[in-house]
Amino acid sequence: MTATALITTTPPDEPLLTPGRRHKEKLPWGSPVVYFVALVVIAVILVPVAYIILGGFRTNAQITSDPSGLPSPWNFENYLDVLAGSMFWRQVLNSAIAALSTTAGAVILGLMASYVLARYRFRGRGALYAMFAAGLMFPITVAITPLYIVVRDLGLMNSLPGIILPQIAFALPTTIIILVPFLKAIPDEIEEAAFIDGASRLGFFWRMVIPLALPGVITTGILAFIGSWNSYLLPLFILNNEATYTLPLGVQAFSSQYSVDTARVLAFTSLSMIPALVFFSLFERRIVGGLTGAVKG
Amino acid sequence: MSVRENSLTESDTSAELARRGGGDTTVSSPPVRRRRKGLGWAGRLEVAILVGPALLVFLGFVIFPVVAAAYYGFFRWQGYGPPTDFVGFNNYLLILQDPAFHAALSHNAFIVVMSLVLQGPAALLLALLLNRRMRGQSIIRVLIFVPYVIAEVVVGVGWSLMLQQRGALNGFLENVGLGGLEQDWLANPDIAIWTLMVIITWKYFGFAVILFLAGLQGIPEELSEAAAIDGASFWQTQWRITIPLLGPTLRIWAFLSIIGSLQLFDLVYIIWGQYVASTAGTSTMATYMVSEGRNSGNYGYGSAVAVVLFLISLVVALIYQRFVLRRDTAGALTGGKRR
Amino acid sequence: MIAKRTLAAAAAITAVALALAGCSAGGGETEDGDVEMTLWHNSTTGPGKEFWDQTAAAFSEENPGVTIKVQVVQNEELDGKLQTALNSGDAPDLFLQRGGGKLAAMVAAGQIKDITDAISDTAVEEIPDTTLVNLRVGDKLYGMPIAVLPGGMFYSQDLFDAAGITETPKTIDEMSAAVEALKTSGVEPIALGGKNAWPAAHWYYFFALRACSPDTMATAAEEMDFSDECWLDAAENLADFAATEPFNQGFLTTEAQQGAGSSAGLIANHLAGMELMGAWNPGVIAGLTPDEKPLPDLAWFPFPEVPGGEGEPGSILGGIDGYSCYVDAPDECVDFLNYLATSEVQAAYYDAFDAPPVNTVAQESVTEPYLLQIIEAYNEAPFVSQWLDTIYGLNVGNALNVAVVDMLAGNSGPEQLVDAVNAAAAKG
Repeated sequence: MTATALITTTPPDEPLLTPGRRHKEKLPWGSPVVYFVALVVIAVILVPVAYIILGGFRTNAQITSDPSGLPSPWNFENYLDVLAGSMFWRQVLNSAIAALSTTAGAVILGLMASYVLARYRFRGRGALYAMFAAGLMFPITVAITPLYIVVRDLGLMNSLPGIILPQIAFALPTTIIILVPFLKAIPDEIEEAAFIDGASRLGFFWRMVIPLALPGVITTGILAFIGSWNSYLLPLFILNNEATYTLPLGVQAFSSQYSVDTARVLAFTSLSMIPALVFFSLFERRIVGGLTGAVKG
Repeated sequence: MSVRENSLTESDTSAELARRGGGDTTVSSPPVRRRRKGLGWAGRLEVAILVGPALLVFLGFVIFPVVAAAYYGFFRWQGYGPPTDFVGFNNYLLILQDPAFHAALSHNAFIVVMSLVLQGPAALLLALLLNRRMRGQSIIRVLIFVPYVIAEVVVGVGWSLMLQQRGALNGFLENVGLGGLEQDWLANPDIAIWTLMVIITWKYFGFAVILFLAGLQGIPEELSEAAAIDGASFWQTQWRITIPLLGPTLRIWAFLSIIGSLQLFDLVYIIWGQYVASTAGTSTMATYMVSEGRNSGNYGYGSAVAVVLFLISLVVALIYQRFVLRRDTAGALTGGKRR
Repeated sequence: MIAKRTLAAAAAITAVALALAGCSAGGGETEDGDVEMTLWHNSTTGPGKEFWDQTAAAFSEENPGVTIKVQVVQNEELDGKLQTALNSGDAPDLFLQRGGGKLAAMVAAGQIKDITDAISDTAVEEIPDTTLVNLRVGDKLYGMPIAVLPGGMFYSQDLFDAAGITETPKTIDEMSAAVEALKTSGVEPIALGGKNAWPAAHWYYFFALRACSPDTMATAAEEMDFSDECWLDAAENLADFAATEPFNQGFLTTEAQQGAGSSAGLIANHLAGMELMGAWNPGVIAGLTPDEKPLPDLAWFPFPEVPGGEGEPGSILGGIDGYSCYVDAPDECVDFLNYLATSEVQAAYYDAFDAPPVNTVAQESVTEPYLLQIIEAYNEAPFVSQWLDTIYGLNVGNALNVAVVDMLAGNSGPEQLVDAVNAAAAKG
């Protein structure tokens, strides 16, 4: 589910900072009931994650004899094997390249297009915007069969550009829908002031628009990154050669190839969760805050 | 109010912008505007340069494939060479008559409804409870959101190992003496779809909570304070004031949930594979498309299924936009409505 | 400004990505005349995997300048990945080939190298023509067979003894009796890897083999027409047999070959009495036993007869495993195929896989009683058919497999099975 398009036409008036942090005051404690409920929910949510992580620390014999027990003794071999092998890191690299390229492409192209759609006036602008917005109705799932044929005919099979370019294309609707309101909100006076000062329209774009639209850019960038990092269907169709696998594809291939070795599969799977979790914890405020801004009103 | 496109004055421009922007963009008439009636030659060039790359990529990889899917759907075609066996609407007829497709469609409908039912109220409740400044707020939000961030593939692999016949869940039940509850969580057709719902809920519950929390933060605190002064209890306030004001957020979330449920693929494919999906009662239109299309070498038929899936999503989206979201947005999706 | 940095970063990344794109699959000549070829096989673990690594290395030694890169593809994904690779023009040079409709489709698309004239004389001498015919389309040969893998019932002698079964079942009723005896003795009667669909479908293939005359089966292959009554009879016979609940618990999600919980694993660990499987099974089972050695009490009997059918008694379903060359592969590819067919390499193959080799000279070194039984049954069969899903090709084959599982799961009946197959023929 990558359609995290938030249909909005109003931009946030101030982005991202969660209440309390800005003021640096001590927050009051909540009621025990709330904490209890939250704890139960979190426990339920984290049990499967814990299962995957802890499972990697066991041996297959342990798992066969007691499927739901804790590791005893703790066995680090599986994790070390996966980390020492080249396959995991190559897949991480592939995923990273694909995700960064997709993000850069989607943000840059999306920003340029959003700028035009937000601040220029020309015939067909409405139709253009509608076309990009309608792209939400064509997720990759729907387009995958002919998309595979397009990529194949372009000679991009088994290559990272073969997944990067389509991912950029499919990230554009979300990006544009989120960015256009941001860009619309930039008051015209600023633009006029810049023109009076002698800046060209493109110069205005580089120097003023981008910083002002930064919160939206970051949100869409993060959404594009997560979407690319977790994507499975497109790599499944396009990447046939092991050396080009991205991480989701690698997890599935590893789990079926080494299905005898449940512990090893769990270790591989939990390691593949880590980049996404690290990324998320770094940008948590932006992600959640970005959703806040987009949904407000 | 009609807008005559070619002869707008400055004030009309900003009014139009304001209207499109939902009404609260603060735009006042600027003193001098370079562009008067339409764009000049240089302006058009700038538009082309800025929009060009995005348009090219989008047309090439999104629009063209969907149009191509519609074209291929009229053929029986194995995927190599040009399609030659024209069958008209026969593929579509086969789809509409195929009991396997009906099954997949009914599963999708079930998932759509149950996702809304299972996630909505519970997430709303939790969001209402968490909507206050308290210690640990940040950590709680992060932890709840974790499943959403993890790839569906990882979720699928992990859960399928947990739910195996001799897996962790059955092992746990046995350890705590509830061995009688052990089931074949994945293969039993009566249970499998509920298992799928549990996994889907687990993954997307956090997203709903966070989205609702975000929406709640847009509701001014003064309202609940005023209600409290007037003697309303916490729950009365929530029911009569907060939730109605949360309306737009709820509707947007429901829309995303519905569309996502219609297009569900990764989880089902990973956990149940290409064959058991139909026997375990968890096939979706997307898995049907992949197993009847690519995996069987029927690229023409698979394209037709893709078109059907697209049309269903589109119809649902348009109906939803028209009847549910109409109040909230000024036509973001059906954008460009000339009023 | 941020934008410029982002732009530069994007440019750098795109450059790296494009560079990586250059490292794609595919063989051919490198600059100094060295030949590199890729080979895809499906032995993920154990002696089978080693066999391929060693054979590729040995071939490189004997042919300096030629290297073969070996890639393992999980069996269940092989068909899909191979088709994708072939259709995209970026295919491995050497790959597993089973013949039938799947081969015919590839030949029709011009994706396979014709080796009719390049096959070595030794290969022609030492491999029976009845085996070579499986990889012919028209008069031309499109691959080298390396193993003949007929299907039958593998069983554990120990478990049979413990259940008091003294004679192997010759008819389907005797089979049901054996099933009951095994249930009473506390083991699963028949292991079935339903999750992969084809193991369940093998049951239907055999029932069809017993119910349909050889002519009907041949016609069905050519015209994709399943209107003869015998197809329905076979489905009903299978449904009746399945109603006695002979398969292991949870067979719908049991894998066939992966892990101790798979159907092969059940046999390997004496948790189930019998399994209907092709002759690759001993090797697979050997990898899943606790000590990873061949199962000492493994034995074999042919699929029982089913009275009232038009099939010839003693008919057998026999797939072959072979290897084909991609149409654009270098000539050394055919050399490798001929190398695979030599009696020494064939003997090594038999050693590694515990499966019958095709080379008659190598067959003389086979010792296991069950393999000798299999070879005998194969040679004496009045009619040999390939696996039905191989014959009918990817589209109908897949649909057939799924329909069988649907029926065994209780979701549909015999009529729907036949309907589903006919419907699939219309889709592709």
